[in-house]
Amino acid sequence: MQRRHSLWPMVLTMICVTVLIAAMSAGAQERVTLRFSDWHLTEDVWNKSLTEGMAIFEKRYPNIKVQVEPVSYREKETKYTVESAAGRAPDVMHLHAFSLPSFYEKGYAMDLTSFIEKEGKGFLDAWYPLPLELVKHRGRVHAMPGDYMTMVLVCNTDLLKQAGTDVERFPTTWGGFLDFAKKATTPGQQWGLGMVGAKDPGFSLRFSPFLWTFGGDYLTADLKRSALDTPEAREAFAYFVELSTKHKVVPPGATSANPQDVRTQLAHKKIACEIGSGWTAPIVNKLNPDLKAFDVLRAYPLPVKKKRATAIWLSSWIISPNTKHPQEAWELVKFISSKEMELKWFQDNRVTSARKDVSGVAPEILNDKFAKVIAAELPYGKVEPQIKEWPEIMDAFTGAVQEALTEAKPPDKALADAHARINTILARRR
Amino acid sequence: MATARAKSVRTGYLFVLPALLLLLAVLGFPALFSLTLSFRPESGGGFSLEHYRLLLEDTLFHQAFWNTGLLVGLSVAAHLGVGLAVALALNLPLRGQPALRLVALLPWVVPDVVTGIIWKWLYNPLNGALNDILLRLGLLAAPLDWLGGRYLPLISVILANVWRGFPFVMIILLAGLQAIPRERYEAASIDGANALQRFRYITLPGLRKMLIVSLALDTVWEVRRFGLIQAMTQGGPGSLTEVLSTLVYKQYFAFFRFEYASAMAVVMAGVLLLVSLPYIRMISREE
Repeated sequence: MQRRHSLWPMVLTMICVTVLIAAMSAGAQERVTLRFSDWHLTEDVWNKSLTEGMAIFEKRYPNIKVQVEPVSYREKETKYTVESAAGRAPDVMHLHAFSLPSFYEKGYAMDLTSFIEKEGKGFLDAWYPLPLELVKHRGRVHAMPGDYMTMVLVCNTDLLKQAGTDVERFPTTWGGFLDFAKKATTPGQQWGLGMVGAKDPGFSLRFSPFLWTFGGDYLTADLKRSALDTPEAREAFAYFVELSTKHKVVPPGATSANPQDVRTQLAHKKIACEIGSGWTAPIVNKLNPDLKAFDVLRAYPLPVKKKRATAIWLSSWIISPNTKHPQEAWELVKFISSKEMELKWFQDNRVTSARKDVSGVAPEILNDKFAKVIAAELPYGKVEPQIKEWPEIMDAFTGAVQEALTEAKPPDKALADAHARINTILARRR
Repeated sequence: MATARAKSVRTGYLFVLPALLLLLAVLGFPALFSLTLSFRPESGGGFSLEHYRLLLEDTLFHQAFWNTGLLVGLSVAAHLGVGLAVALALNLPLRGQPALRLVALLPWVVPDVVTGIIWKWLYNPLNGALNDILLRLGLLAAPLDWLGGRYLPLISVILANVWRGFPFVMIILLAGLQAIPRERYEAASIDGANALQRFRYITLPGLRKMLIVSLALDTVWEVRRFGLIQAMTQGGPGSLTEVLSTLVYKQYFAFFRFEYASAMAVVMAGVLLLVSLPYIRMISREE
């Protein structure tokens, strides 16, 4: 009899425990996890900054946990393509502007227009018009702009002085630059300019200013044919190649040098200048703190031949169409590209923003010796053609530059071959 | 009796079934998917041989095909030469033989991407170790741009690949050497055969099967070689080191031409099948 009575408290306890566990698991289910992937997570300076940023986000949105997924800069498109095709891409991804058309075409970037409309009229007014154009596909917004910078010359002022150059009156023409580069070169030891010549996404950012300032272009205005057969394009191509082959003002091994190799050369005083942007000084400082990069380095606008121009670096944030948490992913993208965070990214990493209310007015940027030069060049900034064939075109073009740099072909022949190949690629588009 | 045998065969098939299903899932399905993709026009839908026609005209594909042949031919030949030499040396009764074998295996243990990065550093014309050593030895008058120039890049890649790949052949041949009965060498020595004759008439025939196995497997591995080249040159300068694997990768992941990349991959798979035929035949005969 006694045993029968003692069952009730046990049953009641079990019911209570079950209810408690159910309540706890329901609470846990409310907290969603977002997968956030960015190549910057592999870089020391950026990693710290992003980790802090995500901590702020999680504090403001206690129902969202951010799981970070680093990816290498070169492999990001590969990873995102495979994962998107399998329907398992990270919820939020960071991309180059030039990768966007391919991702739009394949349907790997969610249409963000409805989210933006819900934010109210004028939400996008805070951004510069050019980056907003680049994140649109068939009139719909598929990405949010991120870093927005121009390419400039970053030089070691100590080496400039050694070469007898007045740091306040740096050459403004390519002719003047060549004279300077020759003076700054000591064969076998030190060179005037670091050259990126490897097949790397960073190549076009560093070559395009040559082409554009000489008055040339890659493609015709209607984007249907190669424009590399113009005298301006030939002149720019020959000038770039001869810096290495004829004047020898760049270190040997340019065809295998990627941007990080060149920054390493700058950090160790092997070169006087390189074409870089806001990210250059922090990375060089990390590579060689003894150089005191923030003091010694200085940014200059790129020299000009016919017209002032430079390449624009734009990164952007996309949301995977396969995300199970679109609203939360949008909150994260909105947070990353907010004025507050864009200022933080600048303060920590020296990258200027695609937001006008940051790059155009923030005293931190206007008073920074690198950022003010980079921001001042924005009106002259130009982007590569936004077509899905661009990576293939750039590969053909980089190959031609390499053939000329290694003297496998004369510059004119290499360029003519690239012109023909690019027309073949574009013919498929037609 | 016949029923028992049939039952036994059926049980055998049942044991093989999980492995077979797994193979179909991880190899059969992707292969079939690639094959069907290769016949699909880029505009989507339908059936087309267009990609295969384009392959016939694509000079970059031809260059990659030629480069693959050179890379595979020279690498496999060097793997065999170096692998056999090291295997013969490690088969001698040396002191510290296990340690030496371990050291000889090390390059094989390193992932090929890492090998590519290491060799890219070694080849660096500004501060690479290779130039430094050769300059100090007086073998070079000025630093060489190993990954630049017209002929050097492919040779440099092959050199790195030889270092990375010879232990695979070496370990197979070493196993073969150890299986040759000692008595044969002793008998040959008594008959007055010199070292070269013993190698020609005992070692080489004794290693015949192992040589075919290593040749076939190494060739298949080398046709698929990707990480090392991607890490060192990405197929450049120009297309001097472009091979089929890097080109397929590029077409698929950089240019997003999934269908055309699939056609390339199908051709590559066909070539690999042809290359591995002698090995498959040998195994079938043994069975």
